[in-house]
Amino acid sequence: MDKRVEDEVLLTSPPPVSLPALLTCFLKLGAASFGGGVSGWVHREIVERRQWLSEERFLETLTVAQVMPGANPVNLAVYVGMQLRGFAGATVAAIGMVAPAFCIILLLGAGYSLLSRYPEPRVVLVGLACVGIASTLAMGIKAARRLKGQIVPILIAATIFVTVGLLRWPMIPVVLVLTPVSVLATYWLGRKTNG
Amino acid sequence: MDEKLLGLVLLAVPLSLLSFGGGQTIVVGLGHQVVNVHHWLTGPQFADLFAISRAAPGPSTLILALIGWQLGGLTGAIMATLAIFVPSSLLLCLVGHWWQKRKGSAWAVAVERGLAPIAVGLIFGGAYVVAQSANLNLVGLATIAVATALLYFTRIGTYTLLGAVALVYLGLAFWQT
Repeated sequence: MDKRVEDEVLLTSPPPVSLPALLTCFLKLGAASFGGGVSGWVHREIVERRQWLSEERFLETLTVAQVMPGANPVNLAVYVGMQLRGFAGATVAAIGMVAPAFCIILLLGAGYSLLSRYPEPRVVLVGLACVGIASTLAMGIKAARRLKGQIVPILIAATIFVTVGLLRWPMIPVVLVLTPVSVLATYWLGRKTNG
Repeated sequence: MDEKLLGLVLLAVPLSLLSFGGGQTIVVGLGHQVVNVHHWLTGPQFADLFAISRAAPGPSTLILALIGWQLGGLTGAIMATLAIFVPSSLLLCLVGHWWQKRKGSAWAVAVERGLAPIAVGLIFGGAYVVAQSANLNLVGLATIAVATALLYFTRIGTYTLLGAVALVYLGLAFWQT
């Protein structure tokens, strides 16, 4: 677009992240994806520890990754990588996210008949799934703190939880209806408080 | 590339662009195509691969890697994985690139802020759905509570926590048998 916006983007963007750092980071995250909860681990690593993205930017990224077609962990890696280092970053992050799971699934495929005779791996997987849920919850609580005292956003979050979570309504239509509502409310409330 | 593998890739590309909501939805359709329409695998073979993909880490669409492996070894696994992930990733890149250029306007800021409550609702909704489908007992619920508290209040490392829980559950499994 115009020069002013470009300058603003340059001024506000974080220092560039190196591609090898991005790759190692996402290889670790991909390897942690046992039992799910990937978005929680990505939040912990990218927002809290390395501070590569702001909390707000991350939540936007997460929503986009969930709404667009594609596997959520891969989409999350692609979009985070894209924001940090453009198309090269997206490629590197996606490879990092998929490679560990790709290797493990082929190993499991090779050893499946052997593994299915023992109950222990299954029990351990249940435990890891619990940690995955915990990582999601911890991220959710941290994200929810940002909504404190704002009635409209809290109502919108609660509506999504009830419809998509409890009632199992399909996610895409619910999100497509409530996103404009939420954005309009934010825009309007922002104007009101800023005068 | 042999004919079966090419067929699998051509099957996966459109599915990639239709894999809304993470891709569990496309696995059923995929099974139908692979087993009943093209006869690349038998029903029990596909069921086995499905079970493995559920037990493995990573997205459920990674079942394509296993099907690709069955049809064409390592090359097949890589081709099938690329076919299911590249189209959706490319689309996301294009949309993301377009969106990044519009950052900074009042509207873009409102969109960024307005998506936060949506994300919060989806995070808790997703955690609830996963917890419910896992059929957890009291030990499982206690694990979730303790792990959530640790992750929320401390800076405990990902692998420390995953390793500790794996050890505890392995201990439980042996103790029960």
